[in-house]
Amino acid sequence: MAYERNIGETILSVDQISLSFGGVKALSNISFEVKEHEVFAIIGPNGAGKSSMLNCINGFYHPQEGTVTFKGQKRRRVRPSEAARSGIARTFQNIALFKGMSTLDNIMTGRNTKMTTNIFWQALHFGPAMREEAEHRTQVEKVIDFLEIEAIRKTPVGKLPYGLQKRVELGRALAAEPDLLLLDEPMAGMNLEEKEDMCRYILDVNDEFGTTVVLIEHDMGVVMDISDRVVVLDYGKKLADGTPDEVRSNQAVIDAYLGVSHDDE
Amino acid sequence: MLFFLETVITGLLAGVMYSLVALGFVLIFKASGVFNFAQGVFALFAGLALYDFIAEGGWFHDLFGFVLPVWLGIIATMGVMVIVAWLVERLVLRHLVNQEPIILFMATIGLAYFMEGLGDTLFGSDVKPLNIGLPNGAVDFLLDNYNLYIEKLEIFAAVVAAIMVTVLAIFFQKTRIGRALRAVADDHQAALSVGISLRTIWVIVWSVSGFVALVAGIMWGSKSGIQFSLSLIALKALPVLILGGFTSVPGAIVGGLIIGVGEKVAEIYAGPFIGGAIENWFAYMLALAFLLFRPQGLFGEKIIERV
Repeated sequence: MAYERNIGETILSVDQISLSFGGVKALSNISFEVKEHEVFAIIGPNGAGKSSMLNCINGFYHPQEGTVTFKGQKRRRVRPSEAARSGIARTFQNIALFKGMSTLDNIMTGRNTKMTTNIFWQALHFGPAMREEAEHRTQVEKVIDFLEIEAIRKTPVGKLPYGLQKRVELGRALAAEPDLLLLDEPMAGMNLEEKEDMCRYILDVNDEFGTTVVLIEHDMGVVMDISDRVVVLDYGKKLADGTPDEVRSNQAVIDAYLGVSHDDE
Repeated sequence: MLFFLETVITGLLAGVMYSLVALGFVLIFKASGVFNFAQGVFALFAGLALYDFIAEGGWFHDLFGFVLPVWLGIIATMGVMVIVAWLVERLVLRHLVNQEPIILFMATIGLAYFMEGLGDTLFGSDVKPLNIGLPNGAVDFLLDNYNLYIEKLEIFAAVVAAIMVTVLAIFFQKTRIGRALRAVADDHQAALSVGISLRTIWVIVWSVSGFVALVAGIMWGSKSGIQFSLSLIALKALPVLILGGFTSVPGAIVGGLIIGVGEKVAEIYAGPFIGGAIENWFAYMLALAFLLFRPQGLFGEKIIERV
């Protein structure tokens, strides 16, 4: 990387996570740590449990065993809305936007956790609620500038092309000013140019706001380029973690990717 | 000409009543994508509860020996509707997160029958005249000068509906909670990820529609007494929604008005030629035509589907 960031203390620590759906073990005994301001990648073949891992971190899934510690708060079962409030924002593998709403409104929903006026003022749309709305609008405009999507501000997102939808989804996550940003395949289905743009945004977010990024990605070139550290999952088990170089030369990882037969199957 | 005008105005005002019920449907549909079949029963339930708080014959009187003043009765009924909303979330919706809309719809049908039975058990099944001192009788001024017969109550209902629609429209378009409601309707998972609590939103939205049901219950109850046929008005609200669009608050109003006027005009002018009773099926025919040519309704959000 051309620039220097201060990799700080551990911000997220995943400890002995096991998750199963009925008889299917999605994750078994996964542990890793993510440091502040880091770009951290989760990689692995399809069905390795990468998305399940993200879902455990932001509270969509509740692991049967193990804990997730975020900013010093250890928890086992957390509700997604609590996770969001504690500073975790995310995007989805299959874009999950509010299709009927405009780009602006979509990104405004990202401010949800920052808004405080109560339902009484809200209902009247008066007094504090109105002032607050204006302040948040300013923040949202900053995000829109940052992602260069000024032109589609008022467009219903359902009408946008795929690549732009991905960008709006990132915008919604950024609007929450998260400490931890979870990106589930942010570059899936994009062309080269769009991928480069997305990489740039991710690095800029990490650089300018110091946001810790945990991402899942299949494009190894991208992963090795932008991540500080990588964890490799396969069949719900951790194969390795470390810097991109360490991981690249790890025999277990090479086996998993090149498809050596698994004895324990 | 005068007769035609009177027909249209009567139709418009009857339409307002339909709109009031349709409004409750729209609210829940907008916020949770659920078509709440129980909305009509909600109106009935609210009306029954209110009657019992404020009337001499109600069980509140039997229990405590006095009745609540009207305004307090309305607040107490609102409290009952909030509790109902909370229970619906707790006992029904919570267990059906991320299910198909048709499953949620079936759940509301069950809810409708349950609430109807509960209302029957708690409050009895006889027709109850609701009198909370709303103006009634004809508007004298119009009757004397222009020989137009228009009910004061219906004018009042129109004003109330107008105010309610304005407030709700602003609430949905401009506020955080309004946006959160629309977000929940669109995508549960995404809504959760930005920190919207589904449970809170559902309680809010069912309470708001409980409030709308209360208003509808008061208006219908004042007009023709609180009776169990009120829950059937829910069926009339369906074509209103198809016309106006399931997601549009103004659509519910305009749809209600069109159906109200259409029914009356068709009954009076086309009725004699084809044997009358048009009023009973006109709304559904109109809805059918709309489904063929404009399925999203007049004001509904365009259905965007990328292929």
